[in-house]
Amino acid sequence: MTQAATLGWLAWLETTAAATAMRQSLWLYPIVEILHIIGFVVLVGSAAMFDLRLLGLSRQLPVTGMEHHLLPWARASVLLIVPTGALMFVAHATEFAGNPAFRLKLILLVAAALNAAAFHLRPFRRVAEWDHSACAPLAARFAAGLSLMLWTGVIACGRLLAYF
Amino acid sequence: MNGVVAMRRFAGAGLLLLAVGVSPVAAHHGWSSYDSTKELALTGTIKEAGYEHPHGHVRLEVPGKVWSVVLAPPTRMEHRGLPASKLRVGARATVVGYPHRSTEDEMRAERITIDGATVELR
Repeated sequence: MTQAATLGWLAWLETTAAATAMRQSLWLYPIVEILHIIGFVVLVGSAAMFDLRLLGLSRQLPVTGMEHHLLPWARASVLLIVPTGALMFVAHATEFAGNPAFRLKLILLVAAALNAAAFHLRPFRRVAEWDHSACAPLAARFAAGLSLMLWTGVIACGRLLAYF
Repeated sequence: MNGVVAMRRFAGAGLLLLAVGVSPVAAHHGWSSYDSTKELALTGTIKEAGYEHPHGHVRLEVPGKVWSVVLAPPTRMEHRGLPASKLRVGARATVVGYPHRSTEDEMRAERITIDGATVELR
């Protein structure tokens, strides 16, 4: 897509009913912000608690037990985060698309998702070997540390995009 | 971990994209983007008004110039007695605020006076 086409598409997003309502309705925008925050608190909270377990804290808890408890919440939270994020985006699509903090946030978000996918495809496949009271393999601890850094970055960029 | 390698490549490409894709539109919400040592008091006519999130705004025509004035979130303005109906095109308004550090015709208002009523915006 050419730059002009992209700009046209972004400008069109801003004219949609959802975008107009987000800008002009008195309480919609703050309500959407609150739901977005509740969503990412659950997502990043789940990820962080799981990461800390992989890094060696609370080893009395089985890794699979934590995974079974946290992953459904993390998945469900995405249903809250993505639509609310999209609503905020369309309200000021052109501005967000050109915002360096927003661009970095999306990159970090994709990186965090790839990191989680890589963890589930590789070290987590053999979790039975280190499920209880054992040190997680280096690949798992690396993914956990990276996850903590990436999610911290996502939150920081999300907050900072109002300042760029 | 192939995923991590792929991810690193992706992040590298993304950072390059960030460096190349320079944004023409800068957001400007924080007060730190405005120079509080240069207080401005402007009186003029509202040419355009946006009672919008995240911040309301007006285009204020003063002799010789049209300023883009950033106000407060609509919820705050409503709460403090400045409903959308008062922020109307054609109304006379006085704003006290600070100029943007880099955008020449933009200022952020600390307070606005319309029809003799002053509303604090911070």
